[in-house]
Amino acid sequence: MNLNRSFFVPVNSPLHNLNPLTKLALVFSMILPAFLSLPQLAPFLAIPILIAVFIGRVQKQYFNLLLKLVLPTILFMFVMQSLFLPGGETVILNLGIFDVTRESMQSAFYTVSRIFVMISSFAILLLTTHPSELMSDLTRRGLPGQFAYVIISTLQILPQMQAKAQTIIAAQRSRGLDTESSFRKRIGSLVPLVGPLVFGSLVEVEERAIAIEARGFTSKRIKTSLHEIPDPAFDKILRGILVILVIASFVLNLWLS
Amino acid sequence: MAFVTLHNVTYQYPLTQSPALQEINLKINEGEFLAVVGPNGAGKSTLCYSLAGFVPHFFKGELTGEIAVDGKKSSEATLDEWVMNVGLAFQNPFNQISGAKFTVFEELAFGLENIGVPREEMKVRVEEAMALTGIRELADRSPYSLSGGQQQRVALTSILVMKPKLLVLDEPTSQMDPIGTREVFSVVRKMAEEGMTVVMVEHKVEWIANFADRVMALKDGRMLLEGKPNEVLTSDMLAENGFGISRYTSTAREAKKRGLWKKENLPVTLDEAVEGFAK
Repeated sequence: MNLNRSFFVPVNSPLHNLNPLTKLALVFSMILPAFLSLPQLAPFLAIPILIAVFIGRVQKQYFNLLLKLVLPTILFMFVMQSLFLPGGETVILNLGIFDVTRESMQSAFYTVSRIFVMISSFAILLLTTHPSELMSDLTRRGLPGQFAYVIISTLQILPQMQAKAQTIIAAQRSRGLDTESSFRKRIGSLVPLVGPLVFGSLVEVEERAIAIEARGFTSKRIKTSLHEIPDPAFDKILRGILVILVIASFVLNLWLS
Repeated sequence: MAFVTLHNVTYQYPLTQSPALQEINLKINEGEFLAVVGPNGAGKSTLCYSLAGFVPHFFKGELTGEIAVDGKKSSEATLDEWVMNVGLAFQNPFNQISGAKFTVFEELAFGLENIGVPREEMKVRVEEAMALTGIRELADRSPYSLSGGQQQRVALTSILVMKPKLLVLDEPTSQMDPIGTREVFSVVRKMAEEGMTVVMVEHKVEWIANFADRVMALKDGRMLLEGKPNEVLTSDMLAENGFGISRYTSTAREAKKRGLWKKENLPVTLDEAVEGFAK
């Protein structure tokens, strides 16, 4: 079983060495223009994204993710939008009661590009940034510790809960629980699994609360961090440039529309 | 004055019919290693939570009497101040892993980060603590990839690294093999020699006899017996009240009835039994 569910790929690249906040700024400098600026801009943002994938040396993992997760999602959206978006005059394809028009296809293409930009830029962030590094940097900059804890522990605890569900299922099957016959029977057999999983998890939450409290989680002292996360001048300048670029994209939008 | 004082402590969990602890009076000196024994439901864990401040600050319910550590009363302190002096590790190691860290080293530093220890000192303290409990080689592993016994050592280390004045351990060796158990007892003994006060709930009576300074026997929330390990652990009262007792003690007790055990005191450990039967 894969116990480490973070997407992080531990290689050395210029992108890995950027400060986490800079990478978050890069993500938003892609997403904000894609969604709020000219729709024609979104498809072109795929270019910097692909460049980033190669700079970050995560092409294998990225394209894997693209194939399994992103592509099916956006293909489905593209088909649905092309079929069902109302309006448009230039009919390209007629499927009984549905018309695929040039306009609806174009609009679907823009929407899909936006989704692609959003998922891809977050994926690159997660592939090149260790989650605990991202969170300690954000906590240092004022993100509440509790908030960071929830994010990080979810990454770790979900696989644990999955493993526990598997254990409970195995235990119940060994006592004759039916998990292989008709759909209706299988739904029924879920009932005895929910109790142990939910109540067990509640007890665990209480114990875990005690454990982290015993280690000063709610201490009012100023927290320190084990890892030093460098934030050189280059990162600060880059973040400044990104802010300017985002504003420029909005100005362009206002000016052209 | 005693380092830890419990004066007439009675506590009842919310929505329960009877108190979990009743009129507990106890004094523990600085650097003393006190072991607590008792059957299930005797109130051992509640005693641990009371010492560590979780009763009454985390669990609601009704607490009367007074708990003081190092001259400060728990009722007058807040929980985050209290845990600076009192460390707690409990039985289930899996739930003691913070879930916020990806390696054992980071996991051990979690508590130190929370209380604001500077980075350089943090690294030194984590290294020292790992050397103490012998988990140096686990430093880069994920805490979730460890065995139960290893996780238990990590849980213990994560508290030791905080350098509490009072260390409260609730069955810290429950998932360990004999070698692990020996190491934990040795470490705890060493910490006590260095001045840390230790309260440890444990079922393994032979180990208690070898390492603890004093034993307290709890039953149904009340203190049944208290005193030197060999006196308490061989007492007839323990056997009559359903406590777990050493097989050497019960063997020698039977032998005594038949006139085969000549010594006055019953043994707890193998060595004592061998010595006694050889006479």
